[in-house]
Parts: sequence; structure tokens; C-alpha cells
Amino acid sequence: MGLKGTSLSALVRKFLSLEESKPLVALVVLYLASAVISPYFLTVYNQKILLLQASPLVMLALGESMIIMMGSIDLSPGSTMALAGLIAALASNVYGFPVILSALIGVGVGALIGLVNGLAVTKAKIPSFVATLASMVAARGLVLLVTGGTSIYGLAGYEWLTDETAGLANMVWLFIAFTALTYFTLKKTTLGLKVYAIGGNEEAVRYSGLNADNVKIAVFTIAGSLYAIAGLMMNARLQAAYPWTGYGSELDAIAASVLGGIQLTGGVGSPVGSFIGAYILTLISNILILLGVNPYLQWVVKGFILGVAALTLTRGLRYVK
Amino acid sequence: MSTPPAVKAVNLTKTFPGVVALNNIDFDVMYGEVHAVVGQNGAGKSTLVKVLNGIHPPDRGEIYVDGRQVRIRSPADAKRHGITLVHQEIMVYPNLTVAENIFVSRMSRGRTPGFVVSRRELDDYASKYLKMVGLDVDPSTKLRDLGVGEQQLVQIARALAEDAKVICLDEPTSALTPGEVERLFSVIRDLKSRWRAVVYITHYIDEVFRIADRVTVLRDGVKVATKRVSETSASEVVSLMLGRSLSEFYAYKPAAETAGHPLLVVKNLSTQPTRPSEVPLRNISFELMRGEVLGVLGLLGSGKTELAKSLIGMQRVVSGEVWVEGRRVEIRSPLDAARLGIFYLPENRRLEGIVPLMSVKDNILLPSIDLVARFVRKRVLEEAIAGDWVRRLNIKTPSLYTKVSNLSGGNQQKVVIAKALARRSRILIFDEPTMGIDIGAKVEIRRIIARLSEEGHSIILATSDVDEALTLSDKILVLYKGEVKGYLRRGEVSRDKVVKLMSGYGG
Repeated sequence: MGLKGTSLSALVRKFLSLEESKPLVALVVLYLASAVISPYFLTVYNQKILLLQASPLVMLALGESMIIMMGSIDLSPGSTMALAGLIAALASNVYGFPVILSALIGVGVGALIGLVNGLAVTKAKIPSFVATLASMVAARGLVLLVTGGTSIYGLAGYEWLTDETAGLANMVWLFIAFTALTYFTLKKTTLGLKVYAIGGNEEAVRYSGLNADNVKIAVFTIAGSLYAIAGLMMNARLQAAYPWTGYGSELDAIAASVLGGIQLTGGVGSPVGSFIGAYILTLISNILILLGVNPYLQWVVKGFILGVAALTLTRGLRYVK
Repeated sequence: MSTPPAVKAVNLTKTFPGVVALNNIDFDVMYGEVHAVVGQNGAGKSTLVKVLNGIHPPDRGEIYVDGRQVRIRSPADAKRHGITLVHQEIMVYPNLTVAENIFVSRMSRGRTPGFVVSRRELDDYASKYLKMVGLDVDPSTKLRDLGVGEQQLVQIARALAEDAKVICLDEPTSALTPGEVERLFSVIRDLKSRWRAVVYITHYIDEVFRIADRVTVLRDGVKVATKRVSETSASEVVSLMLGRSLSEFYAYKPAAETAGHPLLVVKNLSTQPTRPSEVPLRNISFELMRGEVLGVLGLLGSGKTELAKSLIGMQRVVSGEVWVEGRRVEIRSPLDAARLGIFYLPENRRLEGIVPLMSVKDNILLPSIDLVARFVRKRVLEEAIAGDWVRRLNIKTPSLYTKVSNLSGGNQQKVVIAKALARRSRILIFDEPTMGIDIGAKVEIRRIIARLSEEGHSIILATSDVDEALTLSDKILVLYKGEVKGYLRRGEVSRDKVVKLMSGYGG
């Protein structure tokens, strides 16, 4: 009995020491609360919708979290996802390229924006906040320029992403796979070590004889590719390329990272945390819609929850900026 | 006897995670008195004044001002009771003017000069206090354009403007030239005559005997003694400080047996500073053999750090040549240096050496990770390598996965050494390797340096500790303001001569 008690408390302590424990607890609490509040929440139909809604944001949050872990910030996810989705849609539906090739072109566009961000931060030494602010504005401008502000409707060929395998949409399997892949990259590869080290103390990384610039360029490029995949997911979900896709999503991506326990100072955190953070944000929208709450109030609620989450993260610090 | 001390502390105790920084300290200072506090790095001197100034609230103990008990939980509390701290690194605003620096805390309290500030009025008011400390500068100059010594005097002027009764000076002379030290001392004597109480922290014993009335010796957070300066001697204070004799304190390295061609040759190296705090190097030349230790000796501002960094591509070299194993090389980055087997172990470990929140293992492997694993990391191999260095360097850590920030300064330094060795470096450049770590660890680090050289590593030891350089080096390069003042074999020269060269005399 006593032995069992100690092993249980050891298990609890082990769980609480995990980087993802706080976000996970928050997610479970919100799940239970939502199930109690609304009878429609815990239905198979609604859960599938929730997963579909979460898909693009999870991809954005994965990319954003890698960049935040390096101590940088990326404001371009929303615009990148819109531009990549649009270019893929144009390639397949206007120029008649095969969908696979079009999708690859879209991912290439995302990678290119990421590469430009990375070069701007390392070679031109523009702070990431400013560099990615510029690409966020410019990429959105390109989207509007190309579409003239209108949507491309009747988008076909991206249904594979919404088709189901083993009961779940393929895009859901896709974001689960990418979460695992990102986790693996950050925790089990040399690139991951360098990402954490740069976020923890970039000066020490440079004095250690490592090329920190190349790491940053690589991570910005990878992140851009992840945002582009989010754009393809939106193409499939909406069956349209909509010029304001992802408008404001960069803030959701950052919020998801913060909710996931990733500190904006860099060097600590887990991509699984930001995955959970993205899921929490989607869940909040979902339950508020189910309850018929004024959509504008959703923003207030999200802001409030973000503030509370940040409060638990910074407990014990002497001061923050 | 009738007047109570300006400040009196009783049973002060302050602990930080894992360290008792102050252990039941009693301390007092009278008006018109200079009370020196001495001790090695980590003895608790700085913590004592930080507690008195409310920067670190004490865990236990009482503080009395003018005989009345007070609570000091913040610097604002301390100021209210007339206690102020003059510190080189904190407390100044380099981007504000001299006058603004003098009045910044009063402005924030909304007292004179009021909320709306007239620049001219402020400057006039400031000149009055600048005159008191004998500083002849335009009050509208930006503080960052002044020298370190002048900045310090501005802080003292600020203390006077705030009408501080107790002025604490933390290592005020460590960055000053001999002339500036004289000027500071005359200002301190003037403070005494103005009936201020002065707490003077230093690790230079000679200063105690020149300026102080009483001296308190701290060691490992404990007060060892308080003595009248007139009733003690320098050697007594030193032995109280160290708790053991000098010979135990330094590791002695036997002379290296060198033959053949030098591993590293530097010819006429000159650099240009990229930051105002850096010193330009002029025509530096030396040779380093395999297994040799070259001591680069100099005070702050001598250029020793700049020389170390120029060898890893972190300074702008304008002329000169570097040869490694008989080949001319261009080193543009630490990566270039690492490929040649050159590794720099920085003076400022927390800023340049370690990633505090990362594990001991990951820190050790950081420079060599691409040699150990291609892309996917190899946990078993990594643990074997890191574990091996932890054992060989006797790094005291609960596990390989402990965060480096939880280790003591000495063990953090050993982690940095392990980084260099795991990278298979041949030339190790140490920059003040024993600064800021406790006595026991100092000896251990010095022994490691001696051992590394015996094992065939070549070492450049940049230090300001004369005895460290004399006991460990085969050759000594003395730098002063970016120039070579002497390039000597060990045993060629007396300690006194070396000290003179370091201070810019002779050579």
C-alpha cells in the first residue's frame, strides 16, 4: 500500500516535471468543462470538425515554436500560408499543373519566404520581429495583387487532405506526423541541440565554433515550409483560395506557443506543447460557437486565457520586459 | 562613544540556492569613517553591501540606522534611510547625460527638480555636486563618453546629491588607472571630512592600508575578523582572507620541455576595436611551443582579452600574421579557429561560455556535436564522452542531465574546459580562468591547466593575477594598453618588475 502510494506520487512528480504537463492539464480541464457545458461538444461529428479546424493552426504553431525556441519571432505565418496556398491553387486550377506538383510549388513558395526571413535576420542583421513583419506585409500584398482581392472558387484536387483514412481526415494524420517529426528534430538531432543552444545563449554557440547563422536560416526555411502546408490544408477545407486566409493567424501561432509553455526568451519548450496550445485555442473557439456566444466576445475570452497562461509561466521571475 | 553607528547590522544571514552567502554577519560603520570589507571572490563582500542596499533582502538579521531598527527590502528603502551604493556595472545610465544620471532617482520621486525638467537648471545644479568630487566635465555630456573612473565620480556626486549618509563602494578601483585611483582616494578623504560613512569593498590589500580606518575580513560568507587598520598588518589580513598560506593557493607547473618548431606564431598583430570598450592591439608578436604555457598578463584594458579573441576571429585584425604548424592561416571565426584546434575559454562564462539552461552533457558536446553525430544524435556515445570528461576533470554534478546553471562557478568553468577538450583542441586560450570562483576550485583549475600542458596541450593564459601567471607560465607576455611591455621567460624576472610592467612603468 505504502509502496504503491510512493510510486504513484513519483509518477505524478515525473508527469509534472514534463515540459508539456501544464498545457496538457489545461487541455484536459477544458475538455471536461466543455463536455459538461455543451451536449454537442463530445459528439463524433463535432470532434472531427475540431480536428479539421485545428489542422492549419497546428502546422503554423509547430513552425513558430521552433523559431521562438531560437529566441526569434516570426510574424509571417499567416501571410505565408495564404500566398503558398494561392500559388498552389493557381498552378493546379489555372495553369493546369498536376496537383502534386502544384502542392510542391506551394511548399517551395513557403520555403522561399522562410529563406528570405532567415537571410534577412542573419546576413542583413534585421531583428526577426522587423524582418518578418516586412515579409508578412509584403506577402499579403502579393496575395491581394494577384487575386485582385477576390477568391478562387471551385478549387478541386486537394480533397485527398480531407479524405478519411481509418476514421480521420488525412490532414489530421499529416499534422500528427509533423508534430512527431518536429519533436524528433528538436529533441533527437544535432540541429535540435543547436536550436535550443541558440535560444539559450547564442553568444556561447558562436564561441563554441558553430555556425549559428546557418542554423537560423535552416529553421526559418523549415518553418516557412510548414506554414505552406497549412495553406494547402486551407485549400482543401474551403475548396477555395481566399485572399484573407490566415489574416491574424501569426498571433494565434504565437499564442499557441505561449499556451504550450514555450518562453518567448527562447531556449526552452517542446513542440508538443505548442501543438497542445493550438488545440486549446481551437477548442475555445469551438465551444464558444457551440454555445452561441457573440463571436466578437471570443476574442476577449482568448485574450483573457492567454493572459492567465502567461501568468503561470512567469511565476517566480523577478521582472520581465 | 555616545553617537550610535551610522549603520549597524546584526546577525545578517542571506542564502542563495545552494550557497550561504552571508552567515550571521555583524557589521557596523561610523560617521566619518571608512570601513573596508575584504575577502576573496565569493566571500560575501558584495552580498553584504547588496543586503544593506536592499538589492537582496536578508533572510534573517536586523539593520539599525542611527541606532533605530529599520526594514530595508528594496533600494528605495535604502535610499530613504540615506544608504547608497556606487557600483561599476549596475546603477548607471550610459545613454543619459551626467546631470541626468545625478538626478535620475530624485526625478522619479517627483521631487526637486520637479516633474518638468529644465535642462539648464539641471546642469547648473549638477555642476555644484560635480565640483564636490573634483570632476571638471560638462554636465550635458553623455555618461558613456566618460572614462570608467569619471563615471564612478559621477555616481559619488549622485550619492551626495541624494544627501546619502552612508556610501558603499564596491570594488571601485578595479578598472581605474593609478592616477584615477589617487583622485578617488582624495574624494573619499573628502567624504570622511563631510562626516559621511563609507563602506569600501576591495580585494586589494594595499588599498585598505591607504584609505580605511577599520577592516572586516570575510571568508566563505563568514566574518573572520574586524580590526583597526592601525593595529594589523597586510600579511595578517591576507592570511585571514585566505585561511591558508599562499603556497597552497597556487599550482606550480614545472617548465615544459620543448623542442622543434613552434605550434603557433603570431607576428606583428594589430587590431582595430569594433566597440568603444575594446583596446586596439599594436604589433603583438610571440611564439607558442607544443606543451607550453604562455601567460598573457595585464590589467583590465591591457588588451589581453582582445588578443585572445583576435586568435579566434572575434576582433578586427588590420595587420600581422598568424602561423599554425608552419602554415600561414586566416582565422575569421571561432569555427575557423576550432578547425585549427584553437579554442577560447571566455572570461565571462555566463555570457560567452555556457548555455545555462542546457544540461551538462549538451554543453560539453555542443562544439563537437557534428563530429560525434551526423544528424540523429547518439545518446549512448554522447553519455560516454561527456561522462568521461566529467570524471577526468572531476566535475561535481548530480547527473549528466543537470542544468549547468545549477553548478558552482568552478564546475561551470570545468564544463567549459571539457567543451574545449571534447573538441580535441590543441591550443587552449584561457581568459581569466579562475576569476569569480571559490578558492578550492581556483587551485583545482590551476592544477588542470598545469596537467593539460604536461599532456602536450599548448595554452595561452590571459590573466591579471600575477602569481597565477608566474606559477603556471613558461613564458610571459606583459601587455599594457594594447602594447607589449615585456616578453619574458619564467625566472628571468622578479615579481616586482612584472607588476611594474603591468602598470605601464618601465619596459
